[in-house]
Amino acid sequence: MGETRPVYAGLSHIEVVLFYGLAVVSTGIFCWGVARLVLKYRAGRREPLGRLVRRASSMVDVVFSHRWIRRRDPIAGLGHLLLFYGFTALFIGTTILGIQTDIARPIFHADFWSGRFYLGYKLALDIAGVLLLAGLTLMAFNRAVRRPRRLGYARPDRRAGEYDRSLYRVGDWVFLSTLFSLGVTGFLLEGFFLASTPQHFAAWSPVGWVLMKWFRAMGLTGSSAALAHHVTWWVHAVLALTFVASIPFTKAVHMIASPANVAVRDPAAGKRLSTIAADAAPEDVGYRNLDDLSWRHLLSLDACTKCGKCTEACPAAAAGLPLSPRDLILDLREAAETTLGAHAALGIRPDGWPEGLDVLGDPIRTASVWSCTQCMACVEICPVGIEHVPIINQFRRQLVERGEMDPMLQRTFETISSTGNSFGEPKRRRPKWTEGLQFAVKDARKEAAELLWFVGDYASFDPRNQRNSRALAEVLRRAGADFAMLYEAERTAGCDVRRAGEEGLYSSLAEANIEAISGCEFERIFSTDPHTFHTLKNEYPGFGGSWTVLHHSELLLELIEAGRLELRPLGYRVTYHDPCMLGRYNEVYDAPRRVLEAIGVELVEMPRNRDNSLCCGAGGGRIWMKEQRPEGSRRASEQRIDEATSLGRLDYFVVACPKDVTMYSDAIKTSGHDGEIELRELSELVLESIGAPTDSATALAGTKVAPD
Amino acid sequence: MSTADNFVGIVVHAGGNVKGLFGPRFLPGVVAYLARHGDGTSPEGTPEVKAVVCVKQVVAIGDEIAFTDDGKSVDGDYLDHAVNEWDVVAVEEALRMTEAASAAGEESEVVVVTVGGEENEEALRRCLAMGAQRAIRVEGQSGALLDPLTVARRLAPVVAREAADVVLCGVQSSDSVQAAVGTMLAELLELPRVAVVKEISLDRADGTATVMRELEGGLVDVVEVDLPALLTVQTGINEPRYATLRAIKQANLKEIEVVEPSQDAPGCYEILRIYAPPRGEGAEMLEGSPAEVAARIVELVKARLS
Repeated sequence: MGETRPVYAGLSHIEVVLFYGLAVVSTGIFCWGVARLVLKYRAGRREPLGRLVRRASSMVDVVFSHRWIRRRDPIAGLGHLLLFYGFTALFIGTTILGIQTDIARPIFHADFWSGRFYLGYKLALDIAGVLLLAGLTLMAFNRAVRRPRRLGYARPDRRAGEYDRSLYRVGDWVFLSTLFSLGVTGFLLEGFFLASTPQHFAAWSPVGWVLMKWFRAMGLTGSSAALAHHVTWWVHAVLALTFVASIPFTKAVHMIASPANVAVRDPAAGKRLSTIAADAAPEDVGYRNLDDLSWRHLLSLDACTKCGKCTEACPAAAAGLPLSPRDLILDLREAAETTLGAHAALGIRPDGWPEGLDVLGDPIRTASVWSCTQCMACVEICPVGIEHVPIINQFRRQLVERGEMDPMLQRTFETISSTGNSFGEPKRRRPKWTEGLQFAVKDARKEAAELLWFVGDYASFDPRNQRNSRALAEVLRRAGADFAMLYEAERTAGCDVRRAGEEGLYSSLAEANIEAISGCEFERIFSTDPHTFHTLKNEYPGFGGSWTVLHHSELLLELIEAGRLELRPLGYRVTYHDPCMLGRYNEVYDAPRRVLEAIGVELVEMPRNRDNSLCCGAGGGRIWMKEQRPEGSRRASEQRIDEATSLGRLDYFVVACPKDVTMYSDAIKTSGHDGEIELRELSELVLESIGAPTDSATALAGTKVAPD
Repeated sequence: MSTADNFVGIVVHAGGNVKGLFGPRFLPGVVAYLARHGDGTSPEGTPEVKAVVCVKQVVAIGDEIAFTDDGKSVDGDYLDHAVNEWDVVAVEEALRMTEAASAAGEESEVVVVTVGGEENEEALRRCLAMGAQRAIRVEGQSGALLDPLTVARRLAPVVAREAADVVLCGVQSSDSVQAAVGTMLAELLELPRVAVVKEISLDRADGTATVMRELEGGLVDVVEVDLPALLTVQTGINEPRYATLRAIKQANLKEIEVVEPSQDAPGCYEILRIYAPPRGEGAEMLEGSPAEVAARIVELVKARLS
């Protein structure tokens, strides 16, 4: 028998029995807590779960690579990475010791915890302990010294004094210090043990060895070191058992719930919204009660680590609107706990926590539900895969069902329902924008074409956007592209109708458009409108319409790369705004940038670019609602122009979305940056690059008024 | 709506004895200061409420238009359809009346009636989706523009059969703007009628309704009317609820009763021809930059003034 050490050294028989008794109690509490969690989730709506292997492997990848946790906060990411690997290794080490002590020896009379294995084990666990403490120190430094705003519990959706999140702050520090104390007492145990029982292989536990040297220098040896070991052992043991028992009830629950949520998450969350059963009763539409939530969504509430990245990324919160994605999740979590969870079972209701099944209205305020632009910034950055956007959308569905919505939004729904477009224009006017062209655009209903242009409402009816549509039409003609459109048969694609919560209207629009498109002969569809592009590409397949769908930036790039456009470099200095529906929703980040490169403009990136792009504020049907402007706040779109103009002198703010054209044309004027920067749609710049006169240039020249 | 505490009200009683073809002749009224509006709730133990609402599917035209070959109607391709705004408000008002009764545990029913071809059932379905219990369509020729008297005559037997406490119509339709059907229907049914109503409160124990009409200059006309009565409802009386497309699709499954009209008497007019008015002469479009346009306007104004 080689190097090892006795387990339970210096403990009496009774103490060992007591320890096992406590371990049973601790494990019992843990299991009860986990059972309560499972029961809580089972109260939710059933939802099938398939592809288990793929889910598991994706979860392992996300959890072990820390890909999501590291984003937009490398310090906290590194801290968590260190403590995660340290903790995991220590957990595995403890499990190995448990197998040795409680299974291998008593049952199989086998001892593997000795010799080289033991020495390697000691070294590995010492390193793990160091990682754990280093990670925790970094996290504590982040929380106490760096103090990023998002870790504060200030709620943008409530007035000060209306809420109390101090319990969470206490919970965060208790969690951190418990783990820290476990690590420290673990090392102390080593040191005391080595100080009392000298061993020639002590250096295999480097930290313990250093501590041992230190204790010896202080004169702590022999029986006094053994006593210190004895006391520390109990402190460590009680702390560890308490921690295990507390996992399902504290911040530590994320150790279970977060990986579980990553595994069961919907990879298309928010991008493909669910349908409503045709025979659903009005009260069953969307979310109103906690048990309307799917079991996955109930689980996701416990996955939240309160990191605040969602609220930090939220354009509504940035504009001072009463929405905080994190606090929406926490409100739901509190209500679920006090109504369905362990708190309910024990009759504990912390101060200020909501209670009751019906959560719509209180604590989930309708103003919060309607403030969301469904831009996906929160879902996209959430390190644990919480699906704020579809949850909010479900609440909207119930509000729409009750008719509790902005009267302007209701009128827009009615208008779309009667005219097929959100502008309330007669359907005959849809192709009117083509009248300024030198050629006739093919009618897809009558002749075949390679490309079907699904124009969309804004690009068809809004005067500023009509110019861009004509610019693109001219570019396509010059490239010799064979394209056609649906003329009067096109209706609004419904992307934002769906995101505003009017699922019935959306499905009837989708069905009508699919019928119209199906009657045409073409190879691919494209649109300049990312909202239209998104829903045609990703959501229409669910209604029976599957085609290859492109955004015009992709089409332009294709034509440029095929050498079908003769471009001359423009030499402008520009910045580019990623539309939510193109970027975050569909990860088309490069095509527009490469088009800009091809036409010889210098692209200066804004700090928030690509996946971190800030929504213009129009999405999710917000453009159809009365604007809420809290006092002293600045619109998200104005903040975006501030961001662009802070980059130094730029010629253009380039966009690739008709709603962005509208929102940012406005924001340039209202933000106080009028004259500093101008807006251009991608197609306009391409048209300029091929040397054709743009009608925006002529229109601008026509309206220019002399300063005097 | 006026504020509740300081308006002048003219209170009159319009019983079954006040009726005329085009508007009841009000009895000399009592001028009074009213302290508050009625809130529409009903005392306990009053009988059930039944409301019939007459609705119309209206058309909207854009800036382009074409006519049918006979020149008597507009080509359907150029038309968008919707439920008449005033009628939606009337349906909402009826629903609120009956919901108040239902909340008090009483039976109540809202029946919607329209005249027209099958395509008009779309309007009825919207009303069903809002919450109306039954819908009746009196057959009418598709796409034909009927005169108000013919519409009223076709509605009359159906509405009479339903024996409602209250018959509601919109004040007018947004497409033909005649404000005639409601009043004609009241005459045909020999019901008292109050037009352009802005507030209704039922007193079913008493068998009356107190309704308010807004007059010019902030005056409010308060009329007490015996039930059953016909009221034509003005917009602004309520914010109509939203009928989700999902609810409308579900309403597609409900059966709509179709009634054949009785023999038609001649209408009050006949459409001979619909046409676009000839373009007027004399308009001059000013073109050029804003500065040039402004200069030209100054020139023109000076010329006219001198």
